[in-house]
Amino acid sequence: MGLSRREFIKRTAALTAASYVGMNLPFTNEKTVHAADADSWHKGTCRLCGSGCRLELGVKNGRAVALRGIPESRTNKGYLCMKGMLFYKLMGNNHPERLKKPLYRARKDQPFKEISWDEALDIAAKEFAKAVKKYGNDSVAYYGSGQALTEETYIFQKVMRGGLQTNNVEGNPRLCMASAVGGYITSFGADEPIGSYTNFERASCFFIIGSNTAEAHPVLFRRIMRRKLDNRDRVKVINADPRVSPTSRIADLHLQFEPGTDLALLNAMAYVILEDKLYDEDFINNYAVFRMGKEKKQVDFKKYKEFIKDYTPEKAARTCGGNITPEKIRKAAHWFAKSEGTMSLWTMGINQRKRGVWANNLIHNLHILTGQLCKPGADSFSLTGQPNACGGVREGGGLCHILPAHRLVKKDKLRHEVERLWGIPEGRIPPKPGYHTVAMFEAVNQGKIKAIWINCTSPAQSLPNCDKYRKGMKREDVFMVVTDIFPTKTTELANLILPTAFIFEKTGVYGCTERRSQLTAKAVDAPGEAKPEVWMVREWALRLAKELKDPVIKKCVEPFLGKEPDYELPKAIWDEYTQKLTKGRDNDLRGATYEVLEKLPDGVQWPAPTKEWALKGGTDIKFVRGLDPLADKHAKNELPFQFYGPAHPDRKLWIWLRPQKGPEEMPDSQYPFYLSTGRIIDHWHTSSMTGRIKELMRANPYAYVEINPKDAEKLGIKPGDMVEVVSRRGRNVLPAKVYVGPCEGMVFVYWHDQDEDRMINRVTKDAFDPGSKEPEFKICACRIKKVSGPKPLTPFLVQLKA
Amino acid sequence: MPIGGFVINVDPERIEESLVRLKGLAGVEIHGSDSKGNVVAVLESATSEDMEKMVKDIMKIETVFSVGLTYFHAEDEVEKKEYRKK
Repeated sequence: MGLSRREFIKRTAALTAASYVGMNLPFTNEKTVHAADADSWHKGTCRLCGSGCRLELGVKNGRAVALRGIPESRTNKGYLCMKGMLFYKLMGNNHPERLKKPLYRARKDQPFKEISWDEALDIAAKEFAKAVKKYGNDSVAYYGSGQALTEETYIFQKVMRGGLQTNNVEGNPRLCMASAVGGYITSFGADEPIGSYTNFERASCFFIIGSNTAEAHPVLFRRIMRRKLDNRDRVKVINADPRVSPTSRIADLHLQFEPGTDLALLNAMAYVILEDKLYDEDFINNYAVFRMGKEKKQVDFKKYKEFIKDYTPEKAARTCGGNITPEKIRKAAHWFAKSEGTMSLWTMGINQRKRGVWANNLIHNLHILTGQLCKPGADSFSLTGQPNACGGVREGGGLCHILPAHRLVKKDKLRHEVERLWGIPEGRIPPKPGYHTVAMFEAVNQGKIKAIWINCTSPAQSLPNCDKYRKGMKREDVFMVVTDIFPTKTTELANLILPTAFIFEKTGVYGCTERRSQLTAKAVDAPGEAKPEVWMVREWALRLAKELKDPVIKKCVEPFLGKEPDYELPKAIWDEYTQKLTKGRDNDLRGATYEVLEKLPDGVQWPAPTKEWALKGGTDIKFVRGLDPLADKHAKNELPFQFYGPAHPDRKLWIWLRPQKGPEEMPDSQYPFYLSTGRIIDHWHTSSMTGRIKELMRANPYAYVEINPKDAEKLGIKPGDMVEVVSRRGRNVLPAKVYVGPCEGMVFVYWHDQDEDRMINRVTKDAFDPGSKEPEFKICACRIKKVSGPKPLTPFLVQLKA
Repeated sequence: MPIGGFVINVDPERIEESLVRLKGLAGVEIHGSDSKGNVVAVLESATSEDMEKMVKDIMKIETVFSVGLTYFHAEDEVEKKEYRKK
């Protein structure tokens, strides 16, 4: 029977959706003969959050034309969100505004000129070499991204540390998840979550705090929602957040506390767990110790009980304000402790705090006290914002204090091990960690850094208190290389813009939230002369070696010489990283070769020391004998759980005594409101990509300020009025959204807008956690005032000034 | 004209009501539903921008919990853009 091509595609769409939920439709497409909906389908990972959704890109006549989820994928089970639906529009020649040629200007007040790649790489090498010769090795820096492929982060940091002899290697994950790293290491002795997304289908209680999962991780939220809807009476969802968000929709209990009182709330839950004897004594005796203070002093359970006495639910309810009552705290603690498996989830709301590490510790405390770990559905699980913050930056050595595979720079043994594995002289990597992010841009401000390479991120917009740091980036004596796919607020301050290939235009691995590494191979050509970063770094390093007459720099890229850049080169880099650097480490990825990754619909969770283990998908739950090969290998006794993490020589989980601490800046008479910031479903971070997709841009063309209706009434603010948001650092003017979202006394502004009047990081504060060095984007003090009635606004995106 | 295959999750206790609302939207074809509240739908629109609007309208229905995309085809749109460029 004849069927139009369009009908064929519609049937394909219906059949695909039906297959996800096991539904039979009264038709098939098997016997219809028609042009296929695409010439070829290519497996890969969505790039627009940290979930790691797997999909196939449909390519026809060399162009990306269709997307479909991969139902066998253990991350997204085939589902995608709207951002994911549209990101093919940025690929290849689909988008007219992609950067296609290297652009250069000697001075930042000049227009850019197109130059060749040879000229561009010569200039980049000469400028970095000049800085090193005149001002020393620490006058150069690399600032990377949780969106760079692991191969990219790895080769950049290798050349910087082993070649240019500086640990000035940082990345934007410092801004979003450094506190989670600090929390995992200090509580569990090892970075990254113990369990996996599989716990979504096993958990009986979800404790979601400081995460708007519904908007920031919509596909993962779908799994949580499904679990709740299929088990309405059995599964409880607790949402703790100063703001009511779409995530609160499915919550049985919403704990709306005032910003900065999270530590009191978490300690009060622990109080109830102790008072009502809801703790798991055997688990604590077998696996945990109590610690306090900077010196990590070990104390006993009695001391912890004394400490927690100060956090009665009655007192905490007064501290927390909002809608918090002692009864709600008690109910939350009981649900948490008594469920068959409790899974906590959080993101920036916990991490972007002056005491983000402590907040992480206190969530982990609840899990350790109640034994809600290492069993089905029980997990203390930090969600990640970027697709490769875990895989590339945390594991690949992308922060100033860590080397690849969770090695600390300051440990001589580990540093020398890396030097040996790289075949470079001992002592080549300096023993001192480099600048962390805020310190790095402070050093740019002070002219201490003379040349910086910013890759795949836009600090001119994403740093807190960004005007302060843009001053440094504008300095004529600071040479800035920026690699990106579109013009951004940061390319505006560059001397040299290098156009890069986007995902599916190059090959490499992303490691998502659940320790899972997934490969995306090249499927379409990059537009114009855009190139993969791994090629740029190799060619740049060869030139640096000549400029500085230093053969060790060449040695850093020697294993990669002559490799074709689209596949062979990233593969060789991945091989070196996994086979040499991760060998014997807790993130052992030796089994996860490109060949193995290509065979799987999704990828491999480390530890995966062998190909056999990797082909099964790797390790679902860490530290459990029989489920984690390293737990068996490192077992020291007969207990079922073996906490072998490298940071805790006592092999124990640490329950921390951490007091309530407010934010760095509290509201006062001059600045009486809390300002908090966050995301919206259609946009991602600085909207450098989502803003270029007109469907997403038109859906949310500009940021606005959310104001609680009670505050709006007091201040005479109506929906759409233009409102000034002023802090001690800067000012925005945004349209008002009057909405029962933020609690009274708090306003909330979205992050994505590039317009100078609506760029909220001009207002936020650059205070940071003393442990993790992660800034407190989520809380500062501001005042608000209506400046006019509604005004027509135009969306704004940076255009290239050539 | 883009075509999308979706699984829409609606409140399992209010399926019939949800289906009536969904069927009332232009460009939405319902292919089936189950007792768990899974609804299989195909959305067809003039542009992917319109499709996004349709998804937003569906999300506004209070008995809808999520709209999950499983398949998306937009070859016509990509080709049109190429044609315009030429």
